Amino acid sequence: MRNKPKLSSVFLNGIITENPTFRLVLGICPTIAVTSGLINAIGMGAAATFVLVGSNFVISLLRNVIPDKVRIPCFIVVICTFVTLVQMLLQAFIPSLYASLGMFIPLIVVNCIILARAEAFASKNGPVASAVDGLGMGIGFTLAISIIAIVRELLGTGCIAGIPIFGAGYDPMLITILAPGGFMVFGLTLGVANIIMKRSENKKAKEAK
Amino acid sequence: MSLHVSIAPHVHSKDSTATIMRDVLIALLPTTLVGVYCFGLNAALLCVLGVAAAVLSEYAYQKLTGQKVRINDLSAAVTGLLLALNLPGNAPWWMPVVGSFFAIVLVKQLFGGIGDNFMNPALTARGVLLASWPVKMTAWYLPTFCKGVDAVSTATVLGGYEASAMDMFLGFIPGTIGEVSKVAILIGFAYMLLRKVISWRIPVVMMASFALCAALFGMEQDMVTSLLSGGILFGAVFMATDYTTCPMSPVGQYIYAVGCGVIIAVIRKWGSYAEGVTYGILIMNIVTPLIDKYVKIPVYGQEKAKKEAKANA
Amino acid sequence: METVSCGNVLLFLVSCVLSNNFIFSRFLGCCPFLGVSSKVETAAGMGMAVTFVMGLASLFTSLVYQYVLFPLGLTYLSTISFILIIASLVQFVEMFLKKSSPALYKSLGIYLPLITTNCAVLGVATINVSAQYDILSSVLNGVFSALGFLLAIVLMAGVRERLETSHIPEAFKGFPIGLFTAGLMAVAFMGFSGLV
Repeated sequence: MRNKPKLSSVFLNGIITENPTFRLVLGICPTIAVTSGLINAIGMGAAATFVLVGSNFVISLLRNVIPDKVRIPCFIVVICTFVTLVQMLLQAFIPSLYASLGMFIPLIVVNCIILARAEAFASKNGPVASAVDGLGMGIGFTLAISIIAIVRELLGTGCIAGIPIFGAGYDPMLITILAPGGFMVFGLTLGVANIIMKRSENKKAKEAK
Repeated sequence: MSLHVSIAPHVHSKDSTATIMRDVLIALLPTTLVGVYCFGLNAALLCVLGVAAAVLSEYAYQKLTGQKVRINDLSAAVTGLLLALNLPGNAPWWMPVVGSFFAIVLVKQLFGGIGDNFMNPALTARGVLLASWPVKMTAWYLPTFCKGVDAVSTATVLGGYEASAMDMFLGFIPGTIGEVSKVAILIGFAYMLLRKVISWRIPVVMMASFALCAALFGMEQDMVTSLLSGGILFGAVFMATDYTTCPMSPVGQYIYAVGCGVIIAVIRKWGSYAEGVTYGILIMNIVTPLIDKYVKIPVYGQEKAKKEAKANA
Repeated sequence: METVSCGNVLLFLVSCVLSNNFIFSRFLGCCPFLGVSSKVETAAGMGMAVTFVMGLASLFTSLVYQYVLFPLGLTYLSTISFILIIASLVQFVEMFLKKSSPALYKSLGIYLPLITTNCAVLGVATINVSAQYDILSSVLNGVFSALGFLLAIVLMAGVRERLETSHIPEAFKGFPIGLFTAGLMAVAFMGFSGLV
């Protein structure tokens, strides 16, 4: 390793600079599918984080053993092992979450965030840094989908994580927790995130001057 | 004063947007008046709020984003009124406000403003309201004077309410504010034809294709009831004819209108909604870019030329 | 008997393409839906490639599930075996097309590698298992669902070609407006709910 990346910056990279949801726009399907409620979003975020950390760690350990030509299938097998592990753990210990996330748990395998990190980071860096990268990316993903989930659940049911916020007088805007609302809230949040990022970049540029 | 005109390029008259929109508002006047007569003060309030919210949203958005404010072109007012006319007469006051905001800011301005939206703003907002508050959006009641007392809740004609053809024609039936009176809609249609604001093509073909499908599918209602109930006439005259969201070429417009009629009939017959006008037109709005892409007279010529070239080679 | 089953197939088709569209009501395959929908022609190519692969993937995954995994009690291996089947299937289809039909390969080939990580393919295999479809129904489900994807992506591409000339705010260009457009299209598709 020529220059080891600083662990703290690797960690923050996934949360802000290269946030998988807001900056790289990866993993659109699970984002829309699980953000109708905060609990589901956090559950999916945690499951994906677990897989990310595990697969990044193992792939990094194996990075010098895996032949370059068949690396993608090998990555997928590693990722899939962790997904199956998560699937079994959830089924055994949190069956309610397992039921509400449904088919989107096995689909973590094809969540582009995970394969992208394996390819872009874990196959080039040491195991500890890779695990930290996975953790940062996982938390970044969880935070992003939690924000979307809060907006959708609050507008669509008047609650956050099932706890009433707006009171009985609020007539929930049902569409936000339906499929069209998922696309729309995600799109709008993404646009607003772009505006915020642009502003902070402009500010930094001004300060630099 | 020079108004910026940015409607789709098929506008063949020299009329500015404001003139066209003013004519649409005039054409909507009869149906608005009958609606208010039928459903009382609340209907009037909804119309006022719908227009006010739409104009205000447009003004606020254009101010905030540093654009030239173009509320004088009246297009926002038309959208607001169309949305209000698509609500049941006893809808709560905030519904046209939420709907107009959605229509103007999210369906129209987010895509670039007048002429840039790909779906009809008022109709899309109605679809969103219907999905969000299905109970309130389908709480119908009889026009106040029909039973002598106010607010008798009932089903629409499509939901099983029995009405004579004359009642349906005049508008003395439960329904949204704008859709009930067919005679008022036809007066508006005649005015718009006279002023050459729209052509007869889309409304007539849409009604005809719907009637044909209704006959083929064997609806629960008889033909007269099918045609005179629900929002099909209102949709055909005022919603499907929106300049920016219907095809430009005449052939394209035929395809579009036939598509609207068929989908509406399919949804009425088999769908979970009693009325499918909103969705029929919205789906064809989505198909419109494809129709415009492939149905152009010059493109046809080119393809023919290509084929001939191939055959010769 | 014959007519009933024909009617069922039609209903199944309507359900997969319109009422339970893969994109608009099941949100599967969103990445290619947004990523490969800037041109109608490429979108159609992608859609057809997906249809081809999803039909084959449904066939092979349900064969493996019903004759290998389920009898041996290895159902917990289904995710990993499905993804391997899909990956090798895609590879095989690519090689096969290259040799046998260069024209088709030219039009579909570039999309094939992308399909391995299209969650719609693994998704349909998972649905086939959880809905307990037999082999024929699985294949039909795969092909019909993919046709729904094809319809969605072609419509989306048409709209996006049109939006190219629209004055969309800078911060919303690209993915944000793409997602919002998909949301509005999903509103329209709600009209098809309950058709089946």
